Formats: sequence, C-alpha cells, structure tokens
Amino acid sequence: MRKVAIVGIGHGKFGVRSDASLRELTFEAVKACLDDAGVPLKEVESMVTGIAGDEFSIALQPSAQVHDYIGFHPKPNFRVEGACATGSMAVRTGWMNVASGLADLVLVVGVEKMTEVPTSMATDIMGRGGDATWEYPFGTTFPGYYAMIANAHMAEFGTKEEQLAMVAVKNHHYGSLNPYAHMQKKIDLEKAMSSFTVAHPLKLFDCSLITDGAAAILLASEERAKAISKKPVWFAGLSLATDTMRITERESFTSIRASREAAKTAYKMAGVKPSDIDVATVHDCFTIAEIVAYEDLGFCEQGEGGKLIEAKETYVGGKIPVNVDGGLKSKGHPLGATGVSMAVEISKQLRGEAGERQVKNAEIGLTHNVGGTGQVVAIHIFRRG
Amino acid sequence: MWGELGRWWPSIFLGGGKMEFKNFSLAISQTKVARFADDLAAGKIMSTSCKKCGKKYYPPRADCSACMNSEMEWSPLKGEGKLATFTKIYVPPEHFAIRQPLMPFSSVQFEPCPVGIIEVEGGLRIMGWMPKIDLKKIKIGMKLKAIPQVLPDGKVTIVLEII
Repeated sequence: MRKVAIVGIGHGKFGVRSDASLRELTFEAVKACLDDAGVPLKEVESMVTGIAGDEFSIALQPSAQVHDYIGFHPKPNFRVEGACATGSMAVRTGWMNVASGLADLVLVVGVEKMTEVPTSMATDIMGRGGDATWEYPFGTTFPGYYAMIANAHMAEFGTKEEQLAMVAVKNHHYGSLNPYAHMQKKIDLEKAMSSFTVAHPLKLFDCSLITDGAAAILLASEERAKAISKKPVWFAGLSLATDTMRITERESFTSIRASREAAKTAYKMAGVKPSDIDVATVHDCFTIAEIVAYEDLGFCEQGEGGKLIEAKETYVGGKIPVNVDGGLKSKGHPLGATGVSMAVEISKQLRGEAGERQVKNAEIGLTHNVGGTGQVVAIHIFRRG
Repeated sequence: MWGELGRWWPSIFLGGGKMEFKNFSLAISQTKVARFADDLAAGKIMSTSCKKCGKKYYPPRADCSACMNSEMEWSPLKGEGKLATFTKIYVPPEHFAIRQPLMPFSSVQFEPCPVGIIEVEGGLRIMGWMPKIDLKKIKIGMKLKAIPQVLPDGKVTIVLEII
C-alpha cells in the first residue's frame, strides 16, 4: 500500500443554511480545499462523495448534483453511505483510491442539507436508521437509543447527568471559538441541566444539532503530497468495524463494540497506543456518546468516562483534548459532512493552525465516527508530516 | 382495562399516525417471518431457532447467520426477564407525533410512554412499551414480562409489565 496524505482542507459554515443548496454548500468547501492545497480541480483524478440521506435532499442521486455543480465531469465520482459515519467512510474510500495506486489525487467531499425537512421528519428519518422493521414501531429515535445507553451506563458505573452536561459545556465552549460551528455560544452547567428532556435522561443540550454543511479534503500520494504541501498530514492507521443492526442484540449497552474493534485495529496499524494520541475528535452525537467513546478508545478505563470529563482532562491542556472544535454537539452534525469535518479539524491541529483551540505541539490525531447506534464505526489516526 | 392505557394508545395508534401496528405487521408482511404478527395477535411472542445449529433468534429470522441454514423452528417465548435498559422519549418521530393539518384526529396529543428492553430466556432481548410503569419507579434489573397487547381497534403491540 502507498502512503497517503491530506494536502488540502476546506470547511463551509455549519448551521441552518437556508441561504444555500446542497450543491452550493459543497462548492464552498471544495473551493476552500483546492485553494488551501493550491491545486486546480483539473488535476484531481477522482472524487468520493459522502451523503447519508436521499431523504433529506429528496433526490435519488444527490452526489450527481454535487459533482455536476463543481464541474467535475466526466471524471469518476463515487458515493458512499454509512449513516452518521458516512463522512469517514468517504475519507476511507478516498484513501483506498490513493493507497491502491488507482489515483494520485483524490477529492473527498462530505455534505448534508438536513433542515429542508421539518425537525419531526428529520427525527423520523434518523430514527429509522435504527431498525425500521423491528424497533421503530416502538417509537425509537436516535436520542432514544442513546438515552438507553445513558441509563445503562448510569446504572452500571454511577455516571451522573451532571457529567453528561459537562461534555456539553466543554463542547459549547470550543464551539464558541470555532467560526465554522453551528452554535457559537457558551453555556453553563445550569443551562444544560435545566433544558427540557428529549429522551430521558438526555436533555436538549445533551443532543447534537440538525445541521447543514459541507467539508472537503484533498488526498495525495507520497510523491504528489511532498510536491504540493509543506505540511502534509499522513494517514497512519485506519479501521472500519461493524455490529448488529438492532440495539437489542448488542453484547453491551454501555459500550460500542464496533468502536473497540476499530480502535484495536487502527492503533495496531499506526503502531501507537491511546496515550500517544495528542488530540481527538470523537462521535459526540449525544453527550453520553462522547463519554462512552473515551472508554472505547482507551482514553480511560471502562466506566471512568464521567470522571474524565469532570476532571476536565478532555480540555486543551488536559490528558487528552477531545472535540476542541465544538464536536457534533456545538459545531453541528450534517451527517455526510461530519467525518470529513473531523479530518479537517485534526489536520488543522497537526498543522498548528487551530488558533485559540490549538493543542500545543500536536503530532498524532485521531478521528472516531459512529454510524447509527454503532452499526458501523470508522477510526482514522493521522501523523504530522 | 383500557382506562389507564386509553390515555396513550389512541394518541399513538388511533390518532391517524401512519406508524400503527398495522404498519409494523405490514413492514413484515412481505417477509418470510410474516406469521410473527398473527402469532402476536393470538397472544404469543414467537422466536425462531435454527434446526441445524440451535441458534435462537428474536426478533425471528428465516435464515441462520451462524451456519447459513434456512430451516427454522418457531417457538413461543415465555418473555420474562430483567430490564436491561429503558428510556422515555418526549420528542417523538413524525409518525408518532400528531401533525396538523395532515392528521385527521389532530386534537389528540401524543403522550410519551417509557420504552424498555428486557433480557429473557436464551439471552434474547425483547423491546416493548411500558405504559403502566411510572418513569420514577423504573429500575434497571427489575423483573418484567413481555405481553402482546391487542388494542381496541384490533392492532397489536408488545408491552412490558411488572410480574
């Protein structure tokens, strides 16, 4: 396999983007990415597009809208899908293209426009990302699934609702420092704790946002990367793991098995340990998901995730800074864009361009992206060039 | 017996929402396990087990992924076990929410009801509504029984009740 690097990053403004269409959002991110790399689109050989839901865009092939609008035809565009992990699957597919020798320069785009449908319909579409046949008839929603994980975690390990809220407070703090974040406002513990219940025990501020947005990265082979970029960010380890469709069939309600499996393989491939990671973006679709991710990724022992956030160890300056871009919680979670956005953030950190949110001298970064309730998990480990 | 249940059943199942249990059975009517809905209406929660390797499945499956065999045996579950986890969803998906003006009974409001998963015989787990149990009294590990519930309009679902 050939070495692969990220040589360009682009990120659009996340939020309720009623001012722009799916394809226009994509254009913003792609333009920023190509400008960052200093590479014209005509040199890019192939493209991968991550869009999770045809339901949101009400179109059978939204990826065609996207490649058409940026003027990529007649070159190949390949769409991938993995619910909330769609973006990371696009990143991985782009990596496969370059690592295999199929192409030297590949553009990876993640985009979603979720707010054109009403919130109840968005809740509905995502709820059926559980098991539409066997679980959805019980009114399950995504907050509902993660609420079940939260209740199990609280019962088994004594995790507190306040500790969940502390994740929200942290991520809103960093979101306020990220100009691309959907919600750029700080919140305090009291505000988080007093928000209304969405699915017991998860409250409004425990939930990530329904967001529009796009992100793009340009991947290059070793030779091209060295010629294009002074600060290439290298893929060091990648892994994808899966688990059962139904949450009722999981071996545990307090851990995401696919995360543990993917972490094991990715750490091995990169030749690093959890303690070697300088900065991470993890899948905080709900605050409990971030706490479970701390544990599944080995940043702390199982059951200690609540204490890790309480001790502020996941802030910049702590043991392992996590989601210091605001996370899905505050930056927003446009499904297909999220995984690509994670790669953009880690690239910024490893390039030393994260401004106020910069983790000092970050050399190794990790992205962790969960699809659905853990049906698929993609983990990528990156190294500074 | 519908006194207490009446407060929430109509809102979810009779209120014109598209996701009635009928839809649940419709969702499986074109599958190889379509009989599950009829068995449920007859008061039985059925599982399948592989005739070759013995692996048990709930929800029922027509094909065994453990040994790739498709000869399955149907058997009813006793459905008693401990609560593994639960929640109470206050912000429902669209099918369960009453929306105007599309819904014919728009004056009926959705009333949330806890939902849980119990672990029963053979390590199988059953999801069900918990309409009769107050959220504050729900404890993980409590003993519950999964019971098929025929609603006043003939539709069927599964509820979890304290043994």
